[in-house]
Amino acid sequence: MASRTTDAPSIASHPDGVAPEPAIALSGLTRVFGVVPAVVRVDLRIEQGEVVLLRGPNGAGKSTLLRVVVTALSPTYGGGSVLGFDLVRERDQIRRRTEILGHRTRLYEDLTGRENLRFTCSIHGIDLRGVDETLERVGLGDAARERVRAYSHGMRQRVAVARAILRQPDVLLLDEPYAGLDAEGKDLIDSVIVDAAREDRTVVLATHDAARGSMAGRTLFMDGGRLLPVLDGPARAGEGRA
Amino acid sequence: MNLARQSGLIAAKDLRIEVRGRYALGAVLPFAATVLLAFGLSLGPDRTLLQRTAPGLLWLAVLFASILSFRRAYESEGEDGALEGLLLAPIDKAAVFLGKAVAVLAQLLVFEAAVLLLVTGLFGLSLGASPLTLAAAFVLGSAGLAAVGSMFGLLAESPRAREAIFPLLVLPLTTPALIAGVKATSLAAAGRGASAGGWLGLLLAFDVVLVAAGTLVFGQLLED
Amino acid sequence: MVAAERVLGKLGARRGERVLAALAAAGVLATAILGLVVTPPDADEGNVFRLIYIHVPSAWLAYLSFLVVFACSVTYLVTKRTRWDRLAAASAEVGVIFIFLTLVVGSIWAKPTWGTWWTWDPRLTTTAVLFLVYVGYLAVRRLPDSPGRRARWSAVIGIVAFVDVPIVHLSVVWWRSQHQAPAILHVAPRMAASMASTLVVGVIAFTFLYAYLVVLRLRVGRLEERLLAEALSPRLEVAPSEQAVPPEEVAARG
Repeated sequence: MASRTTDAPSIASHPDGVAPEPAIALSGLTRVFGVVPAVVRVDLRIEQGEVVLLRGPNGAGKSTLLRVVVTALSPTYGGGSVLGFDLVRERDQIRRRTEILGHRTRLYEDLTGRENLRFTCSIHGIDLRGVDETLERVGLGDAARERVRAYSHGMRQRVAVARAILRQPDVLLLDEPYAGLDAEGKDLIDSVIVDAAREDRTVVLATHDAARGSMAGRTLFMDGGRLLPVLDGPARAGEGRA
Repeated sequence: MNLARQSGLIAAKDLRIEVRGRYALGAVLPFAATVLLAFGLSLGPDRTLLQRTAPGLLWLAVLFASILSFRRAYESEGEDGALEGLLLAPIDKAAVFLGKAVAVLAQLLVFEAAVLLLVTGLFGLSLGASPLTLAAAFVLGSAGLAAVGSMFGLLAESPRAREAIFPLLVLPLTTPALIAGVKATSLAAAGRGASAGGWLGLLLAFDVVLVAAGTLVFGQLLED
Repeated sequence: MVAAERVLGKLGARRGERVLAALAAAGVLATAILGLVVTPPDADEGNVFRLIYIHVPSAWLAYLSFLVVFACSVTYLVTKRTRWDRLAAASAEVGVIFIFLTLVVGSIWAKPTWGTWWTWDPRLTTTAVLFLVYVGYLAVRRLPDSPGRRARWSAVIGIVAFVDVPIVHLSVVWWRSQHQAPAILHVAPRMAASMASTLVVGVIAFTFLYAYLVVLRLRVGRLEERLLAEALSPRLEVAPSEQAVPPEEVAARG
């Protein structure tokens, strides 16, 4: 099993020990690209350990929102915090504790899946011994030594999943992870979400796929860059606090 | 993990990609050879003219090679959005700058060795006269090109209007390295390596200033 | 003068702008009169020498504007306050005009004097290098980017170029010194008193011109931002005036 090297406790707590920090807290968050507002005045609070489903049509701003939360993008206006760390000022802290599984798999085409994973682990300070085992777990045991250039999209996603498993982030964000995967691949994603939830980690899942996301505690809707008034999903069996 | 180790990881990764992709061998070297041959042909058979212009042409070829190499280096980051992976990692962003500079520098030195042989044959440039000065000129000069290229090569990560600005910035900013490199090479080829001290000193100063600047500001360039 | 002021007033110019415009106009006019009529032609070069009264002040401004870009770039990276980025951009846009002017006038001057359109004189060469850097700077500003990203990239270019240019100059000086005596474009010892003072007037006049153009450019920049804010406003449901401060700046202040 990969070992985590960070000393920070898994659940960030308020210094007075009163209440744990929200996993994600956004206030008036706006992100504009040129003249096009992609995310508009989003106010949002997600507690640690929640599994939240994010739905919305194409172009609703779900991807942008997730990328801002993971600090790949900076807010144009407004701000917020992740696990108590400021989105603008304490990015490095947020980056240590979050991971996003998105459209782009962030791999180097000329390296093998195994080499890609080993590189990521080395720059994140994660023990390399868990790499091969994790690759087996995601079903890439044989293909691990082929170059990523030859991989199908599904295989690339599996490398990304392996990465998420090894990193064990406190906050896991998934942006349309099921796209282009077969049923087995989709189940793999679900198993990762369930494992994360079981370990009290926070998960935000953005997906169109109506058949997936049943493990989510509540659902958020986005359209035109805005977060629509919260509709609590009907009570579901399993994890999730509303 | 300190900056040196982080840079080493990135340099190793870049070199591994280069060895796999063989871009330098497959694209840069043939291109340089073509350029040099073309120049040789257009300048005519006058031996002395060829000898005089050889250092300048050599460094021009090195400049082109550095631009192509950095473009490729950053392109590989852009192909699948891997650069974001580096951005989100808990590393000093200067490690990306330094790592890539070191990787391309290594490629440039190999490239130069090959091209030097070519130029000796084509242009009748003598290499044995002051070998130490020659080597120093190429190492220090290439390091300067690598520093500038690593910083602004980032523009080439996304293939849009963005990447055309990279060569535009590289030429003016590497002027001192090119001038000093050419002068030192000429002196070395003429057997007067001892008097190239000033030029080598200039190269060293240039390298120090640019590497320091890059290390300090690169993080700002990477963020969005 | 009064008529010009009235016109500028109608154009929306504020008091300060009008004063600067008046000073600049007066200065340039004075330089022209002094340069063309009052000063004698040069002993060696004749009337062509009068180009110096444009060339030297332009060169001075080119480098002054560059210094301003550098100072603002550093200040911006440290404080993250957008006003410094705006000033850097304005200075760069105005500066590039003066650089271009320096190069063109230098070239025109070189032709009758040395028989060639271009000479690798250290100052001209360094100015040419600076020109290319500015073009790159302005090109980067035109890329589609978030304002913060654009500002940071510009600032980095401004800083790196500034520390690089002196080394460029040094390398060209050394390079030229090995070939021939450096081509001296300004022959200080031989200048008559009226020539020297005309140069001073020219430098002061051009400085006012630079200041006026920068102030003008800043105002245009403010209008651009207001336009953008108003375009965004209905979609963001935020009044344009509230859109002022980006989070980076807030974070840096607080």
